[in-house]
Amino acid sequence: MNTTLTFLGLESSCDDTAAAVVRHTPGSCPEILSSVVMGQSELHADFGGVVPEIAARAHAERLDLCVEQALKKAALTLREIDGIAVTAGPGLIGGVLSAVMCAKGLSIGTGLPMVGINHLAGHALTPTLTDDLEFPYLMLLVSGGHCQFLIVRGVDDFSRLGGTIDDAPGEAFDKTAKLLGLGQPGGPAVEACAMSGDAAQIPLPRPLLDRPDCDMSFSGLKTALLRARDLLVAKHGGLREVDRANLCAAFQQAVTDVLAEKSRRALKLYLSENPTHPAFAVAGGVAANKRVRALLETVSAEFDVRFTAPPLALCTDNAAMIAWAGLQRYRSGARDDMTLSARPRWPLDKTSPSMLGSGKKGAKA
Amino acid sequence: MPPKDLILGFDTSAAHCAAALISGDRVLVQKFEPMQKGQAERLVPLLQEVMDEGGSDWSDLSAIGVGIGPGNFTGIRISVSAARGLALALDIPAVGVSGFEAQAYGQKKPVYSIIEAHRNQIYLQKIGENTVAEPQLLAREQKKFLKSEQVVGTSLEDSLPNICLPAFPLAVAIAYLAAKRYRTQQARPAPLYIRAADAAPPRDPAPVILP
Repeated sequence: MNTTLTFLGLESSCDDTAAAVVRHTPGSCPEILSSVVMGQSELHADFGGVVPEIAARAHAERLDLCVEQALKKAALTLREIDGIAVTAGPGLIGGVLSAVMCAKGLSIGTGLPMVGINHLAGHALTPTLTDDLEFPYLMLLVSGGHCQFLIVRGVDDFSRLGGTIDDAPGEAFDKTAKLLGLGQPGGPAVEACAMSGDAAQIPLPRPLLDRPDCDMSFSGLKTALLRARDLLVAKHGGLREVDRANLCAAFQQAVTDVLAEKSRRALKLYLSENPTHPAFAVAGGVAANKRVRALLETVSAEFDVRFTAPPLALCTDNAAMIAWAGLQRYRSGARDDMTLSARPRWPLDKTSPSMLGSGKKGAKA
Repeated sequence: MPPKDLILGFDTSAAHCAAALISGDRVLVQKFEPMQKGQAERLVPLLQEVMDEGGSDWSDLSAIGVGIGPGNFTGIRISVSAARGLALALDIPAVGVSGFEAQAYGQKKPVYSIIEAHRNQIYLQKIGENTVAEPQLLAREQKKFLKSEQVVGTSLEDSLPNICLPAFPLAVAIAYLAAKRYRTQQARPAPLYIRAADAAPPRDPAPVILP
């Protein structure tokens, strides 16, 4: 397996339809030959969040177009591809299913091997695509759907140190934007509005900081923000711009403080294993927030640990990370057949007890 | 004489996996498996079985016909997504065929083609010899006028006395219609949902913003 491999990746687990081509020769850096992402923000804007059925409808009619574009940009045909990697979960099942079926069609029609990839593994392995990190490294995956600390030990070896017990921060940013009459997606809107605000004007809680572990909670923060907003609206007969900016700043600061403090705890656990080249990587859409990024960088410096955050386009959902994860999994012998299932729930760490959705269907992530 | 067109048709728009391989007028293989769930796992292995039993390679196919619904949203997407992937892989056209047209294939026209929509509704389309009306979603009690019309359909929760069964198995009709159209039809298959996505704008409006 020491030959050059070129993989096509497909991703559609939330509201981005994506396809990409990644090539790797052992001993050299992986190369992203193309990475196409078709977003859907405008389709969901009126609803204040991603509507699963609307997302699924868009994915079904865009995936093959994305694949064509990705191949064209890479100046390759399917004949020059060695394998197909597809996100098989966790995520919104309608979208995941479309990509899995499209990948099966591509695979059976071409005879190319297919590998189903865990979306979270795609994010978690991105630092090995962009920054040449060595295992084991600490990873904070923080997005609209996920929030967890992982020690990444290998291509298929992850230990979860902790994570959110309810909502993900990205979802809380979206909800905040909605409550404050800002546009979607909420992350960039809240960040921009917070620029002119003063976080100290509005006291918001820092949930679960009283617990020594790495678990987090963001649902109560949303409620606290709603109460603070309602008080201000009642007082002034509406929401003043200045109050809105203060609310945004306070919310962003609360999220950042929680992430920073829990990162310290995760770093302590990680460093107790004496990794040879200690590194802390952050990925996911919330990693695009400058304040979050800056504070996590500061925390890493406190511990004298290398900090990396992939470029924005590889922090948010994309298919290059799926192609890369698939390529590596294929090298280690992974193959899936045409009965591959799309999985709405699929925890990365197979041994740690579940934190979310521990009902009969099992853990979400 | 040139070799006859080889067409693979399939459908998962309701509680089944259906597939057929046709060559010209001849049905080489036809399969229909009822199933409530598991279509995503079963479909491609079923298609492989159909190809094997027909003694055909994937590269022999001239075109793909795929059922686009109406019916189960997820089920429709399973087939449409697979068809689009296959078409790209094989560099052949994929043709979307509605359940209305497939049921009406080989029937005396005009005919009302009806499909169960659940929630006390039915999907309906009037198909003439050369004209096709807009598909509709009707309340079940509104179907009384159909009693004096030519009607085709299967699997209604409550039947009509005058309903005819389709002349061909679903996947066979889809393959036949795809065979007629694939040289001229350009558009890629897209689901025919008719029913809008279940989504409502947020109930709590944002506050009035004061300067």
